Amino acid sequence: MGEEILEFLIVGFVLGGIYALFAVGLTLIFGVLDIVNVAHGEFLAIGGYTIYIAMIVFGLPAALGLVLAMATVFALGLVVYPLLIAPLQKRLGRRAPGPLFLVLTLGLSALLQNSLLAAAGGEYLKVPPAITGGLDLSFTYVSGQRLLILAVSSIGLGALFFFLRFHRQGMAIRAVAQNPAAAQSVGIPLGRIFTLTIGLSCGLAGLAGGLIAPLFSVYPAVGFTLTIKAFAITILGGMGNVFGALIASFIIATVEALSVLVIPSEWQNAIAFATMILVLLVRPSGLFGKKQL
Amino acid sequence: MTRLMAVATLCAAALATPLVWSHPFALHIATQALIWALFAASWDLLSGYTGQVSFGHAGFFSIGAYTAAISAKLYGISSWIGMGAAFLLCATVGLGVGFPALRLRGHYLALVTLGFGEIVLLIAQNWGGLTGGPFGMHDYGTFTGLPRDLLAQRQAAYVVVSAIALAGLAVLLYVTRRTSVGPAFRAIREDQILAASLGIDTTFYKLVAFTLSAGFAGLAGALYAYYIQLVSPTVGAATQSALVIGMAVFGGIGTIWGPFLGAILLFSVIEGLRFIGVVYNLIAVGAVMVVFVIFVPRGLAGIRLRR
Amino acid sequence: MLAIEGVTAGYGRLEILHDVSLAVGTGEIVGIIGPNGAGKSTLLKTIFGYLPPFSGVIQFDGEDVTGLSPDHIMRRGIGYVAQAGGVFADMSVHENLVLGGYSLASSHATAAAIERVYAQFPLFRARAQQRAGSLSGGEQRALAVARTLVVEPRLIILDEPSAALAPRFIDEIYATLAALNRSGIALLIVEQNVRRILDAAHRIVVLDMGRNAFAGASAELRQSDRIRRLYLGEDAG
Repeated sequence: MGEEILEFLIVGFVLGGIYALFAVGLTLIFGVLDIVNVAHGEFLAIGGYTIYIAMIVFGLPAALGLVLAMATVFALGLVVYPLLIAPLQKRLGRRAPGPLFLVLTLGLSALLQNSLLAAAGGEYLKVPPAITGGLDLSFTYVSGQRLLILAVSSIGLGALFFFLRFHRQGMAIRAVAQNPAAAQSVGIPLGRIFTLTIGLSCGLAGLAGGLIAPLFSVYPAVGFTLTIKAFAITILGGMGNVFGALIASFIIATVEALSVLVIPSEWQNAIAFATMILVLLVRPSGLFGKKQL
Repeated sequence: MTRLMAVATLCAAALATPLVWSHPFALHIATQALIWALFAASWDLLSGYTGQVSFGHAGFFSIGAYTAAISAKLYGISSWIGMGAAFLLCATVGLGVGFPALRLRGHYLALVTLGFGEIVLLIAQNWGGLTGGPFGMHDYGTFTGLPRDLLAQRQAAYVVVSAIALAGLAVLLYVTRRTSVGPAFRAIREDQILAASLGIDTTFYKLVAFTLSAGFAGLAGALYAYYIQLVSPTVGAATQSALVIGMAVFGGIGTIWGPFLGAILLFSVIEGLRFIGVVYNLIAVGAVMVVFVIFVPRGLAGIRLRR
Repeated sequence: MLAIEGVTAGYGRLEILHDVSLAVGTGEIVGIIGPNGAGKSTLLKTIFGYLPPFSGVIQFDGEDVTGLSPDHIMRRGIGYVAQAGGVFADMSVHENLVLGGYSLASSHATAAAIERVYAQFPLFRARAQQRAGSLSGGEQRALAVARTLVVEPRLIILDEPSAALAPRFIDEIYATLAALNRSGIALLIVEQNVRRILDAAHRIVVLDMGRNAFAGASAELRQSDRIRRLYLGEDAG
């Protein structure tokens, strides 16, 4: 029984890494711009499609495919602020009613998802794992892809934390999240930081998309359920709190993995939703409070 | 007064067209368009007019649809009672959802409603015994008392749906424009704290908004169930919630009649575009939302009201 | 050095400043006083770029800086100390200073600049790793000032530096400001504490209802009972 739990824990950890890559970006956007990016899942999906195109259409090696997935979605993310958000901010002021920005990203989500559907069709595309083989533990077998996910997500998240903590632009991002007026007064250009933040977050989502492509297949709505779960995760960790999102990702992933022992698997997704609603009712600021980058 | 009469005449003519023309396809689109119109107006009451943005409104629609289907199938209840039941049940659920929502604003509220919608979807998908599971329900009949002849049936259904949808619109317009509830809603939308300090019982009015809005969304769902005669979990999917928001944005958030009209127009366009390709129409909806929110935030209603 | 000419500004359709002018000479301390709601803070925000003016011209060192965003204006050599919440509360003292040097070309230059600031403010060297939000109100105000000094501004704009501070801390702040001025930095200060600013400033500008009401040497204002009573509503000295 203990081994079974360990097995689920490993699954939870692997999933947690993906959730974290995804949710950290989402919470970062919220912390810096006060916007909930409903379209975040579509960026993950685009990452999946990129690695598919790279590996299947162009026959590139998986590592390159992953890098391309991240880079492509990063580049796409850079466009979002100047093209879509800045015009709305200019029209309504930065303290515009949040829901309008929500509607904007919702529309973007619909636009992107259906564009993918139109361009690529709805089939579940198969991507071969980056690493074949795996680790044979006595009680379970961990596939190479899952190990890769663990490794890459750890490195990616570590790099992000390092960047935010010590790099000049990373500190600038934190500064804007905490105190935009003071940030401007030390010379930080808000628009460019907004652009960078969204780009970075999307890049992480693209990376996550490339990593899970062999596991979940590639299709237009692949990011959708994850998006809603990511909302739950960011709320649990405290919206805007990057560290909180990290912890919450692993909590939710592990609980989900272990829950299979207790409830039927179709209801697994309900855990995230129920958690979210519960947190919002009891302690809306989440486990760690708001806006701590 | 003449302007109002002109508009009324125009609307009456527009409504009569599908009956006069009586092409089955036109009737089909018109009927569905009016169902969406009622749905959109109900969303606008809560989200646009009172400012409590709901991202899971399809959940209420779904509950209403299933109520109609289940009541007809299991208990053989007439559609008139079924619709009433759907309205009341959804209103009650709306009231229930409204309570936790009292403490939440903006993003948080939207996300809670999203979670609500997803939970409704999950229940619809998994509680097979009640809802028929992923394949949904069919075989429960349609509006009670419709003629047998196919064309006449469609015409009659159209009359029923349009009458109810318009009645719903009338009620919503009356409540918001002619009672003291409307200004209270608007005050809450503008500035809740200020409203409360002016003595407006924001709790009461927010709950009223949720109740009414959910009720009419459920009624729209029931209409859908009786007309389409197939209810599946996808009617409560997030894409439906997104769709109704898109229609409302197109028509003009916060006006009630704007989303009503916007839904009719957009739905007709979407169905028309279906001839081009199934997926492009949804791209158009997404594009409409993005473009309109940025450049035409007051929707069609905003354009027309330019004096 | 700083010349504001005919500036009209406000929020949305609300006009707060009407045709306001003022000037700050090199190395001067100019104080802005006036009743509540006179638009003093709005004026500072407009000068520093938080608020683009509806009309008027703002010149610094002969160059037109009207409507530039704050991150551009600060690069011309102007620093800004907000009324409250001017520090990055969740970051350490040191990180605040590092951010103060954001606009500098290299991290080497920043490090050197921060050294200079620590020399001037030994308190902060000792508290370098302390979370800025846990400093006292006076210390946070001083940190905000210190942060502007990292890039060696020639003019510092301060919005009510004495606000919410105990008298002891007000003494310290003003002592710091006096020392800065002696080293050549000009100061433009909005103040509610009239007595303080009359003592500290070379010239005073009075704003009332968003318009210029009076401008002159502070000595003049101090001595003239009539002007004091008229614009400051006080009889005491």
